[in-house]
Amino acid sequence: MNRSVSTAVKPAAEACALWSAFKKGAVVLMLSVLFVTQLYPLLWLLTYSLKTNEEILSGRFFALPEAPQWINFTQAIEAGQYFRYLLNSLFVTTVTMLGVILLSSLAAFAVARFRWKYGQVVMLLFLVGLMIPMQATLLPLMIMFKNIDILNTHLSLIFPYIAFQTPLSVFILSGFMRTIPHEVEESAIMDGAGAFRMFRSIALPISIPPVVTVCILTFINIWNEYIMAATFISSDRLKTLPFGVNSFVSQYSVNYGAIGAFLVLGALPVIVIYFFLAERITKGMVTGAVKG
Amino acid sequence: MNVLKVSKWTIAAFVLPALLLYACLVFVPIIVSLYSGLLDWNGIGTSKFVGLGNFTKLFFSDPVFWPSVRRTLVLALLSMGIQIPFALFVAILINRYIKRPNFLVSSYFLPVILSVVIIGQLWKTIYNPSAMGGMLNQILEGLQLQGWTRAWLTDPKVATYALYFVALWQYLGYHVLIQFTGIRNIPSEIYEAAKLDGAEGFKADYHITFPMIIPIFKISVVLAFIGSLQSFDLVMVMTAGGPAHATDVISTHMYHMSFLSLKYGYGSAIAAFLVVFCLLATLVINLMFNRIEKRYS
Repeated sequence: MNRSVSTAVKPAAEACALWSAFKKGAVVLMLSVLFVTQLYPLLWLLTYSLKTNEEILSGRFFALPEAPQWINFTQAIEAGQYFRYLLNSLFVTTVTMLGVILLSSLAAFAVARFRWKYGQVVMLLFLVGLMIPMQATLLPLMIMFKNIDILNTHLSLIFPYIAFQTPLSVFILSGFMRTIPHEVEESAIMDGAGAFRMFRSIALPISIPPVVTVCILTFINIWNEYIMAATFISSDRLKTLPFGVNSFVSQYSVNYGAIGAFLVLGALPVIVIYFFLAERITKGMVTGAVKG
Repeated sequence: MNVLKVSKWTIAAFVLPALLLYACLVFVPIIVSLYSGLLDWNGIGTSKFVGLGNFTKLFFSDPVFWPSVRRTLVLALLSMGIQIPFALFVAILINRYIKRPNFLVSSYFLPVILSVVIIGQLWKTIYNPSAMGGMLNQILEGLQLQGWTRAWLTDPKVATYALYFVALWQYLGYHVLIQFTGIRNIPSEIYEAAKLDGAEGFKADYHITFPMIIPIFKISVVLAFIGSLQSFDLVMVMTAGGPAHATDVISTHMYHMSFLSLKYGYGSAIAAFLVVFCLLATLVINLMFNRIEKRYS
């Protein structure tokens, strides 16, 4: 009798195991397909950038290049001023980052730690700013910059970049600074430290983690920003990387390989950074999304 | 809770630099554009006050305006109705079946951090006619589906959908990441308790995962909305609103009016509409989720 029970159970258990193996297989397949759809276009771009025009036009999009055409890259770099755009982007992003950290950590400290009437009002003002679409300010900003004569300079990018990154940064930083225990401050007051020293030697050093988050968000947003750069900048030598890439690609419309090469070069800095800091960047972006 | 009592000069020194810059470059321009929306002005020369004239023209006799509003909304709705649920599904599956999920999630996320210029130009190349090396048409020809090939970005019937697809493709990884993080943060004891009660698999998802990640879901929805406004850059890079306004969204229409047709007053009216539209939408989304959250708590 015992035996009959066990034989009855066994096929059922096997079927169950088979079913769950099948389910797991289906899931892995689906996730792999998604992996391909999300990454293959980038890989395709890489092979595209190393092909000759004939190879690109031949229709064998899947094939690897016969011989890698590095000349596409040298052409892109020489004709397209890649390094100048890169340097411009580096400069604008770095200055913006420093400005954002300085201004928003000061404001966040005041909102989080000072006893004053209008702290909440200031915070509310910044919160409204989170909801304002940047595009709506393009025209008035352009007129304003023309009037104070900074249109077509890097300042016309850095100022609005800092301003638009400030609300979220203040929000993230003040959220963190609120959690600093009061005992730390009280002992500092005992030592006779003023507000500035407390900010510089206590609050700021403790707040390194949120400052890193702010840095990451600022970097991703500003490094990739296109439309303001394209609106406020007109000299070729001042263009930032996304704008430079776009004008190069629009001008060079028949040298497909060189276009591909320039796109690869344009994507490269962010991909390299992401390769090393993927976890920090994804964490930072989630924090940014959750706070926003 | 705030312990430091300091003089108002100290407060000013801390707050004013950020606040002034922010007010001058965000608030003042918005107010200026609300006002110049009431003017008939081409940027040079004198302006004429026309009251709500620009707005009546915009709402009642501009053939491009309402379709562009519709496209912005459709993208937001597609994102909320297809992209986010799909991302949630993927996040649940990754969480349940994949042992080392970080690599997969980070890979899905890669397109998110690339500039729209790179993404837009890349997809423009993919959508090219096959005589120009476009991958999509070459694939279709390879599969003997010549009838399906299209001039994806210049055929007004399909161009909008081609753009929607790229926008949804680029940000899918963002939503997967957010939902995945949300699921990870649900304490595993809850699932274990549910298992004792006989709830496992998708049943557990229905009773635990969905209610627990509503706040995260809200973030995704807000992002989807912001994302559909930000599709502006993508549209500018890929089609600039063409062919013949077939892919215009609110912001590209504003951009054309302001910077190409030089109708500053009219462009400002569209900008003002955009700001109000954004504030209202954020309000509606928040109210909606407050109600949903109340029902589940």
